[in-house]
Amino acid sequence: MLPRKFAMLSHTFKKLLVFLKRTFHKSRILQIALITALWFIAQEISLWSHLPIPGGVIGLFLVLILLYFNLLSIRSLALGAEWFLAEMLLFFIPAVPAVLNHQEFFGWMGLKILAIIILGTIIVIIGTAIIVDFSFYKLEKLSKREMKS
Amino acid sequence: MNFELLLTYRPLLMAAEVTLLWSVLTIGLYWLSKHFHRRYKRWWTTPIIITPILLIIITLLSHTNYNVYIRGTHWLIALLGPATVAFAVPIYKRRNIMVLYWRTLSIGVVFGSILSIASAWFLASAVGITDALRLSLLPRSISTPFAMVISGEIGGTPELTALFVILTGIFGASFGQLLLYWLPLKSKMSMGASFGIAAHVAGSSKAYELDNEVGTIAALVMVLTGIFNVLIAPLLEIILT
Repeated sequence: MLPRKFAMLSHTFKKLLVFLKRTFHKSRILQIALITALWFIAQEISLWSHLPIPGGVIGLFLVLILLYFNLLSIRSLALGAEWFLAEMLLFFIPAVPAVLNHQEFFGWMGLKILAIIILGTIIVIIGTAIIVDFSFYKLEKLSKREMKS
Repeated sequence: MNFELLLTYRPLLMAAEVTLLWSVLTIGLYWLSKHFHRRYKRWWTTPIIITPILLIIITLLSHTNYNVYIRGTHWLIALLGPATVAFAVPIYKRRNIMVLYWRTLSIGVVFGSILSIASAWFLASAVGITDALRLSLLPRSISTPFAMVISGEIGGTPELTALFVILTGIFGASFGQLLLYWLPLKSKMSMGASFGIAAHVAGSSKAYELDNEVGTIAALVMVLTGIFNVLIAPLLEIILT
C-alpha cells in the first residue's frame, strides 16, 4: 500500500515539476528575474573574492558553466536574455546627463574630448577591421594547409 | 492623526516620488523615441541620441540637479549587470565560432585593445589634455562595468570614464556601419570584431540588428576585450607612472 502511494505521490510531483518547467520556458518575466538573481549571486562572489572582475562578467561565466554542464537549459533563459539585449540602450541613457555636472565640458574642452573620442573610435574600427580581416584569411589558409599535410 | 510622524517620513516619501517621476520619464521617453525611430529611420532619431538630449533639456528647464536625477534612475544603469549576464545565451548558442576561430579572435582583441588605448593616449596628448582626464579616456572603448574598474585602478575618474564609454558607444554604433561599409572587407568576423572592440555593448546591439552572426562575434569580442583589459590594467599602471 505504502509504496504505491509513494509512487503516486512522486508521479504528481514529477507532473508538477514538468508544469513549472513549461511555465518557466514561456514566461519572460520569470526569466528576467532569474537572470537578475544570477547577477546578484555573481555580484556577491565578486565582492567576496576581491577579484577586479565586475559581477556581470562573473555571472556571464557562471551561466556559461551552468549551460555547459546541463544544469540549466537554454530555454529557461532565452526569452529573458532576448529582452535584456533588446532594451540595452535604455540602461545607458541615465548616465549621459552626467555632462551637466561638468560645466567645463560645455566649451573648448568638450569639443577637444569629443574630437578625441570620434577620431579614436574611427581609428579603432578601421584598424581592427583590417587586421582581423587580414589574419582571418591568413589563418584560414593556414588551417587548410594544416588539414592537407 | 499624527502629522508629525508623517513629516518625519517626508524625505523618504520624496525619494520615492523622485525615483518614480524620473524613472517613468526616462522609460517613457525611451519608449516614445523607439517607436519614433521605427517610423523615421534617421541616425539622429536613435533612442540613444534623442532620449538623453530631451532629458538634458527637461532637467535644465526644471532646474533639476543631475545628482537628483541619477538618484532616481541609477537602478536602470545597474541593469547593465544582468544585461552582461544575458550575453551568455548568444555566446553559448554559437560557441563553435570561438573554438574554430580562437586565433583570429585573440589577435583582434589584443591588437584592438592596444590600438584603442594608444590612440586615446596620443590624441589626448596632442591636444594637451591633463593627466587624470587623459587616464579617464584610456578605457573608453570597453563596456562600462569593466571600464569603471580599470579607470579607478589606473588613476582616472570612473564617473567620467562612464560618460566617455557611452559617448564612444553612441558614436561607434551610429557610424560604425557607415565606416565598415566603406572599407573593402570580406569577412563577417572583421565587422563583428570591430563593433565589439570599438563600441562595446552599444556596438554589439547594433551588430545584432545587422546580422545575427556579426552580433554574436561582437558580443564575444566585447567580453574578451573587457577581460583582457582588466588583466593588463596593472601593467598599464606600471607603464604610465
